[in-house]
Amino acid sequence: MKDELRKVRFGKWACVLWIGMLPSVIFGGELPLREIIDREIKAAWANEKITPPGQSSDSLFLRRIYLDLVGMIPGYEETTGFLQDSDPKKRKKLVDKLLADPRYARNQARVWDVSLLGRNPKHVGHQDNRKHFRGWLEMQFANNEPYDRLVHKLLAAEEDGSQLYYVVHRGADDLTTATMRLLLGTQLQCAKCHDHPYNSWTQRDYYGMAGFFVRTFVHEGEKKENVTRWFVGEKSMGQVNFTIVPVDAKPGTKGEPVAPKFLGGADLQEPELPKDFKEPKVEKKKAPPKPMFSRREKVVEWITGRDNPYLARAAVNRSWAQFMGRGFIHPVDDLNEDDQGSHPVLFKEIERQFVAHNFDLKWLVREIVNSKAYQVADIGTATQAAPKFYERARVRPLSVEELYASLHLATGLGVEAAAKGRPSNDMLKYLGDPVDGRGDFQGSATERLFVHNGDVFRNLCHPRNDNLSERLLKGSESPEAKVDQMFLSVLSRAPTEEERERFVRYLNVEGDDAKQASQRMEEAMWVLVSCSEFRFNR
Amino acid sequence: MKVHTQPGNCRPDQHDSRRNFLKGTIVTAAGAVVPNWGALVHSQTIAAEAKRLGKRCIMLYMEGGVSQIDTFDMKPGRPTAGPFRPIKTNVDGIQVCEYLPKMARHADKLAIIRSMKTKSVDHGIGGYHMHTCYPQSERVPHPEIGAMIAKYCDNPESDLPSFVKMGASGNYGAGYLGPKYDPFVLGTDGRLPGFTNPSVKPEVQERRGELLKFMEDQHAKVHQARPFASVREAELRTIRLMRARAAFDVNEEWEKARERYGDTHFGRGCFTAVKLAEAGVSFVEVGQWGYDSHNDNFSCHKSLLGRLDPAWSSLLEDLQVRGLLQDTLVVWTSEFGRTPLINSQAGRDHYGRAWTVVFAGGGIRGGQHYGASDKDGFDVAENPVSEGDYFATIYSALGMNHRKKHFLGTRPIWATPEGSKPIKQLLG
Repeated sequence: MKDELRKVRFGKWACVLWIGMLPSVIFGGELPLREIIDREIKAAWANEKITPPGQSSDSLFLRRIYLDLVGMIPGYEETTGFLQDSDPKKRKKLVDKLLADPRYARNQARVWDVSLLGRNPKHVGHQDNRKHFRGWLEMQFANNEPYDRLVHKLLAAEEDGSQLYYVVHRGADDLTTATMRLLLGTQLQCAKCHDHPYNSWTQRDYYGMAGFFVRTFVHEGEKKENVTRWFVGEKSMGQVNFTIVPVDAKPGTKGEPVAPKFLGGADLQEPELPKDFKEPKVEKKKAPPKPMFSRREKVVEWITGRDNPYLARAAVNRSWAQFMGRGFIHPVDDLNEDDQGSHPVLFKEIERQFVAHNFDLKWLVREIVNSKAYQVADIGTATQAAPKFYERARVRPLSVEELYASLHLATGLGVEAAAKGRPSNDMLKYLGDPVDGRGDFQGSATERLFVHNGDVFRNLCHPRNDNLSERLLKGSESPEAKVDQMFLSVLSRAPTEEERERFVRYLNVEGDDAKQASQRMEEAMWVLVSCSEFRFNR
Repeated sequence: MKVHTQPGNCRPDQHDSRRNFLKGTIVTAAGAVVPNWGALVHSQTIAAEAKRLGKRCIMLYMEGGVSQIDTFDMKPGRPTAGPFRPIKTNVDGIQVCEYLPKMARHADKLAIIRSMKTKSVDHGIGGYHMHTCYPQSERVPHPEIGAMIAKYCDNPESDLPSFVKMGASGNYGAGYLGPKYDPFVLGTDGRLPGFTNPSVKPEVQERRGELLKFMEDQHAKVHQARPFASVREAELRTIRLMRARAAFDVNEEWEKARERYGDTHFGRGCFTAVKLAEAGVSFVEVGQWGYDSHNDNFSCHKSLLGRLDPAWSSLLEDLQVRGLLQDTLVVWTSEFGRTPLINSQAGRDHYGRAWTVVFAGGGIRGGQHYGASDKDGFDVAENPVSEGDYFATIYSALGMNHRKKHFLGTRPIWATPEGSKPIKQLLG
C-alpha cells in the first residue's frame, strides 16, 4: 500500500526505486548504499508530505561537486567540457576523477584540520607547523587510510607531523572535551560541572574519561627551520580530582581522585606502581621516557576499537553533514542515546556499512555524492540554509581557502595559481569565519567592505597578467561569446538571455575608448565574483 | 564542517523579519528582493517605531584600571588616601576628586557605584570580563557588550553601524552573535578604517552597484535561502555606510568644540561619540589609555583626569542640550580598580575587591551613591555589585532582557550569568 502511494507520488522515481530494489530481492545481495540513501530520503519526504524536488542541472552539479571534493570551482575548460559531454554516466565518471585528484586529499585535509583544530588555535607557533600537520593529514587521505586507523595515528601521535592535535588541545580538560566532541561526537564536557541535562552522563563519566588524559603532556623537541618537532609524552603518576560541584567550590578545594573509566563502560584496571617509583626527568629537546603504564594507549584502543559505540557513528554523521549540509543529528557533535536523528534507519544502515567497509571514508564519500539526494536541485520554498529533510540543496558559504582558490580560477589564472597560494591575513580576518554561534552564515558589513575596497577582489578583476579580463579585452570574439565565457568561468554556468544582453550592454563603450573598455570589464568581473551566487556552494 | 542549529528552536529568520522590514531593506521574510536598493524610502511609521525603541549607550573605558580612591571613592584622612583632595559637587554628600572640577557640576546626573567586586584582576582577563560579562577561562566566544547592545538596540533608521569602537581597549568581537555585530573600529582620533574608503569613484560605485543589484534580483527570484538574503542585506548596509561616512567627519564642528572637550584624542573621541549617538549609533565605546599606574600613580592620574574631566563633562552637557541624555546611558568603567595601599613606587596595583564605576543618563537616577567600600577602601561594606549585576543594570536600563538566551552549538548561554540582578535603585 505504501509503495503504491509512493509510486503515485513520485512517478518516474518510483520506477528507479523498483528497479533498484530488484537485484536484492532476486540475488539476496546488498543494495549499493547510494540507493538506500535515495530510498530512505524519499520515504521521509513522503512521510513529511514534502513535494519531491527535482535534480540539479549539470552546471549546478558540476560546481557543487568540484567545491565539495577538491575545494575549488571548475576551470573554464573543465566546465565547457563537462557541459558538452553527452555521456549519461558523466556525473559518476566525474566523481571518480575528482576522488582520484590530488586536490581531493588536500581538501579533505583542510576540512578536517579546521574541524580538529579550529580557525584560530592557540599554541601553534609558526604557521608552518600547521602546514606540516595539514601535510600529514593530506597523506592519510591520499592513502585513504581507514578512518579508525587515522584516528589511532592521530591520537597515538607518533608519526612526524601528527602531534599538533595535542599541542592545541592541552591538559586533561581540553583533551577530554575535544576528543569526545570531535572524534566521538558527544558533548561530554557539559558533565564537567553538572550531570548532563539531556543525557544519562554524570560528572563521574566526565572525570572518568579525563583520567585517561591527565598524565599526557607535550614536550618541545628540536626546531627544523620553522617547524617544531613535538613529542607527546605521558607521566606515570597523576590523578584527576573530582570536585563535587566545581562551580561553587571554594578556591583550593581539591576533591577526591577518580579512577579512569571508559564512557558507559568499566573502570580501567591498572597495575600499581613500585613503591619507590620516581618520575624520570624529561630531558630538554629529547623524547620523553615512556610511562610505566600508559593510560592514553588504553583509551586510544577503546576509542578506535570496532565496538566503540560512537566512533563510526560520529564519523558518518560528520561526513554526511560535510556533503549534505546537516547531520542526521544536528549539530554534528551532539550524539546521544536518545536521539536517533532525522533518518534513523538510514543513519544506522550507513554506520553498519561504513564499519563493514572497514571505515573506508572515500567509499562513503563516493556513495553519498553519487546519490540523487546529494544531487538534488537548489530551488524550493525552504528558507533555511540546510533543510532538515534535504528537500533542497544546502547553501553553504565557501570557506576562505575555497574562495581564494575559486577567485583565481574564476578570473582565469588557472588551477596552479589557485592551488598554490594561501589567503592573506586580511582575507582570513574578513572572510574567514562568517558564522554565528550556531554555525549560521551571517553577512557582515566588514566582509562586504573588504569585497568592495580590499585589494584582493579588485586586483584579480583588473585586466593584467594575462588574466581573464585582459584576455577578453584583447580577444576578437563576439561580445556575446565574451559574456558567456565570463559566466562560465566565474559561475560555471551560461548566462540567461537577459543576463547576456545586460552584460553585453554594460561592456559596450562608445568609440574606441580603451581605458573605458578596460574599466567596464573590471567592473563586470567584480560584479560576478561579488554576487551572493559566487559566495556559496549550493 | 561547522554545521549547527538547535532543533526545536526558532530560526533566525523568524525573528529577523521585522527588523529587516525596519531596516528599510531589500529582503522580505520570504527572501525576495524589494527593488529599492539605492534610493531607500522610509515611511513615517517606520521612523516613529524606530524612535520609540531608540536607546543608546556610550561607554567611556579607562584602560589599565582606574583608581577609585583618587576619583569617586576618596578616603580623606585615611592612610590609603593619597595626596588628592576631595571637592564638593552640586549634590550634598557627594564629593569627587579635585581634578574632576567640571564633573563636580554634573554630580546630579551621576549614579556612583562604589561597591564593584570583580574577579578578573589582570588586564587581559579583566578587559575580557568587563566587556563580555564572563570570565575568559570559560573559553566560550562571548560577545562584547557593544555587540549585544547592537543586536538588541539597533536603530533601523541609521545608515551607520550599530557598534562603533574608538581607542584603547582590546577587541573581543561579536563572538557567538556572529560577524554582523562585530565592532566598527575607528582610530583613537576617530579616523575611519581603510576599507571604508570607496576604492572607486561614486559613478562607478553606482554603475556597478546597479549591475550587482540586477544579478542579485535575478538570483533571488528562485533562491530563497536565508544566507543569500543575508549577503544582500549586508551589501545594503555597506552601501549605506559608505554613503553616510560623512557622519564620522567631525572636523568642522570639532574646531568649535575642541576648547570645551580638550584638544586630545579622548576629547575628540567623546565629541565624535555624541555625534554618532545623535546619528543613531546604538553603542559607542571611547577608550582612554594609560591608567595602569604601578608607578607614580598620582602624577599619572592627575594628568589623565585632567583630560577626562572636560571631555566627559562636555559629553554629558552636549547630550543634554541635544535632548539625547534621557535615552543615552553613559557608562564610565575600567577593567578593575586600584589598590588602596600605595606601593613603594608611589603606585597602586590592580584591585577588584572594591572599586567604582559611574552611570549617567539613559533614565538612570542621578545624584546618588550606590554601595560603599569600608573606611580604608579594602573591601565592600555594603551592596556588593558583581560583573553580572553591572551588566544586568546596563541591559535593563536599555530595555533589554538581561537573561536573554543564546546558543553556542548545543550549549545555551545567557546574556548575564544566573543570579545576576539589575540594581533597582538606579533604574528610573
